[in-house]
Amino acid sequence: MTELYPSPSPSTGLSRRSTLLAGGGALLLGLGLTGCRSAVSESSSAPQETGGKPRRGSTLNLAVNSDFVPALLFAQSGQSLQQRLIYNTLTRYDDDLTPKPELATSWTYAKDGRSITLKLRDDVTFHDGRPFTADDVIFAVKNLQNPVRAAQLRGTAAAVDGFEKRGDHELVLKLAHPVNNLFDLFEFMIITDEKTVEDAVTGKKLIGTGPFRLKKWSPGSGLSLTRNDSYWLPDRPYLDGVELRVIPQADALISSLRSGQSQLSFHVPGKSLSVIKSDPKLKITNYDTGAGASYLGVNTTVAPLNDKTVRQALAWAIDRDRLLAQTLGGYGLASAAPWPKSSPAFSEAHRTHYNHNPGKARELLKSAGHSKLSFPLLHIGLPGETAVAESIQYDLKQIGVHTTLEPTDGATAQKKLISQEMPALWSMSHGFAQVQPSTLAVSAYPFNEAKNTSKYRSAAYTKVVQEAWTKPGTGAAEANALHEQISGILLDEAFIIDLVVRGQVQVNADRLHGVALNKFSYLNLDDAYLV
Amino acid sequence: MRGYLLRRLPSALLVLFGASFLIFAILRLVPGDPATSLAGPDADAATVAAIRERLGLDAPLLTQYAHWIGSLVTGDLGPSYAIGGQVSDLIGDGLGATAELTAAALLFVIVLGSAFGILGATSRSGWVRSAIRVTTTAALAGPPFVSGVLLVLLFAVVLGVLPPGGRVSFLGAPDLAAQYLLLPALCLALPSAAVLGRYLKDGIERALAEDYIRTATAAGVAPRRLLWRHALPNALPPVVTLLGMQTGHLLGGAVLVEAIFAWPGLGQLAEQGLSRRDYPVVQDLLLLLVAVFVVVQLLTDLVYAWLDPRIRWE
Repeated sequence: MTELYPSPSPSTGLSRRSTLLAGGGALLLGLGLTGCRSAVSESSSAPQETGGKPRRGSTLNLAVNSDFVPALLFAQSGQSLQQRLIYNTLTRYDDDLTPKPELATSWTYAKDGRSITLKLRDDVTFHDGRPFTADDVIFAVKNLQNPVRAAQLRGTAAAVDGFEKRGDHELVLKLAHPVNNLFDLFEFMIITDEKTVEDAVTGKKLIGTGPFRLKKWSPGSGLSLTRNDSYWLPDRPYLDGVELRVIPQADALISSLRSGQSQLSFHVPGKSLSVIKSDPKLKITNYDTGAGASYLGVNTTVAPLNDKTVRQALAWAIDRDRLLAQTLGGYGLASAAPWPKSSPAFSEAHRTHYNHNPGKARELLKSAGHSKLSFPLLHIGLPGETAVAESIQYDLKQIGVHTTLEPTDGATAQKKLISQEMPALWSMSHGFAQVQPSTLAVSAYPFNEAKNTSKYRSAAYTKVVQEAWTKPGTGAAEANALHEQISGILLDEAFIIDLVVRGQVQVNADRLHGVALNKFSYLNLDDAYLV
Repeated sequence: MRGYLLRRLPSALLVLFGASFLIFAILRLVPGDPATSLAGPDADAATVAAIRERLGLDAPLLTQYAHWIGSLVTGDLGPSYAIGGQVSDLIGDGLGATAELTAAALLFVIVLGSAFGILGATSRSGWVRSAIRVTTTAALAGPPFVSGVLLVLLFAVVLGVLPPGGRVSFLGAPDLAAQYLLLPALCLALPSAAVLGRYLKDGIERALAEDYIRTATAAGVAPRRLLWRHALPNALPPVVTLLGMQTGHLLGGAVLVEAIFAWPGLGQLAEQGLSRRDYPVVQDLLLLLVAVFVVVQLLTDLVYAWLDPRIRWE
């Protein structure tokens, strides 16, 4: 090979050296900086092992896939984790939906179910030092009654039509009519500071009574929280601070967990959990909150879906177990009914009411006079949602129902859902089956008895939903009978075909302990610590 | 020159006005609005209506447009509908982050591109030249979402020496900030550095084949001097032009890299704004980008006019 020009002599090989230096210069410069401080060890440094005992100190890095949306502060959204870090609620449910004290220490229901008397903690202060009183509870309820707050439990808050203060720390809430999901409201309703609430919904100031104070919110980057030294729970929290870091890309989020940059996340997609399982430093916890459920929605005004036999055929056609295993990583509960196992309405018979039976589905279609049908199927165009829709498409095809997938962005899908413009079929997810069963039909729009996306109306459904919601004094047997009726209608009418009930899947570093979630996926780190 | 500038200004303003109208109209044509987005999937019609009224979305479209243009003229961009905070702060923060990433990537492009080009053209070792050829081909062929994931896997997960994503402000902790910047900047820079390297290599090889180099060699000029004093200066002008073009690519590519490395720049902001139909953020952001291009075009024309007086009198 002919050289194009005389090569530098070996003795003057500086050009090669200098180019090598130039090439590696930037890398060396950057890596050289690690000589000062390492960004990796700064964020993943841990105190020494303490033999499993809680240990004070350290900052927890929490990886989230979307940023805090201050305008949704009073609504449950995909990102409600920070709610219980900055604020408190009046009560909190245990695993059996029994309310436990938080800012309310005790409560007494009137016999007629038209009022409840609350006793409040008298040792609580807001982050700005102002004492917490009954006025703050009155404001919190009135605030949720405002439609602008988009609170899903506004209907329940609106049932409160009077307040009677008995001193600073005792209060009577009077109800326009009895409701049986008042403790759902108390679990959902964060107690905020009235004076700064308008600053809160723009993200300027978040003042609550919770274990952490807002240090800084950087839109797009996340929230930085610091320990509230005057927290009402003695010696809590153990952590010095919490950083909620926005990492929208799933692979980047998983890398953050695997490299130790983040110690906690609830946003690892189901299909990626197998990667996490193989990492000995990470733990997976599945919460049976059932705060979300995948479903197939049916527009009951589109022929022949106005015939419930056809809808039932669709319900028999879906292989829920395969859907759960293949697209959701196995975390969830394949179920024909919306209820998680922790719900009083849960029953194994309802869960398995429809199982995978394509033969029966074809028979039902035939009995309704159809052998081949074709429908559009709308879904949100994200990878996880698309996988669910494709799985449904495959199963329906086996019974002769051909579907055309209509990928849609989230905002458009929501608009169509609310304005009842969904096509014949759609697949999405719903919440609100995780608390009192009546809340589902009062607060989750797809199930709303008066107006829902499926355009399903029935006097019997309305009657039983209203009865279940407004009869707090009913005994367990009577309540169970009402739940049974609601489930019976949902399963028989099949206007919403539930597929998989999902809770929250937590991925955390094995050195993180004491993490809890409430029923609305508010993160509770009162007892959390890093070892 | 002033006269020329005054003649050009109306057309620039007209472009901006036309763009503002198009941006406004197209955003409104996309289904879904901030109110439904904010109300959430379980909201009822009353909630959506109340939010729409609060945001002023119930006003006629022309009123909304006039309101937006008014806010631009007064300089008060107002609050974001869905993301939260002031639009000016959001865009300011995002612009700073994207500029930081692009500038660091540009530095990498220059350093790595020079190394690829000079070493590729001058190395006597066939092995080194092959290695550079393979590296530049891989850098060109590998899209950022592949190289980004590989870089994270190697430096963050396996070696554990650099953070996999996020951003720290240079003002507070420059040493940490540089480490957060390293991987995204490198990922963004690799394809452009490869392009630059190949151009530079070809340029140097062409220059070194010229007669004057042969003459200088015969006269006993040292090879190092030949390269740095003679060949390189002659190879540089087209590379500098290319570098300017690559800067535009870097700005565009930053959007994807920002997602991979959770870098809170304009790309992330645009994605967030669009997915939530946050009209003020998306409108102002798009118009800002149009304005940047208009200003660059105007400056280019001015420079040309300054260089060539004939243009001024056309």
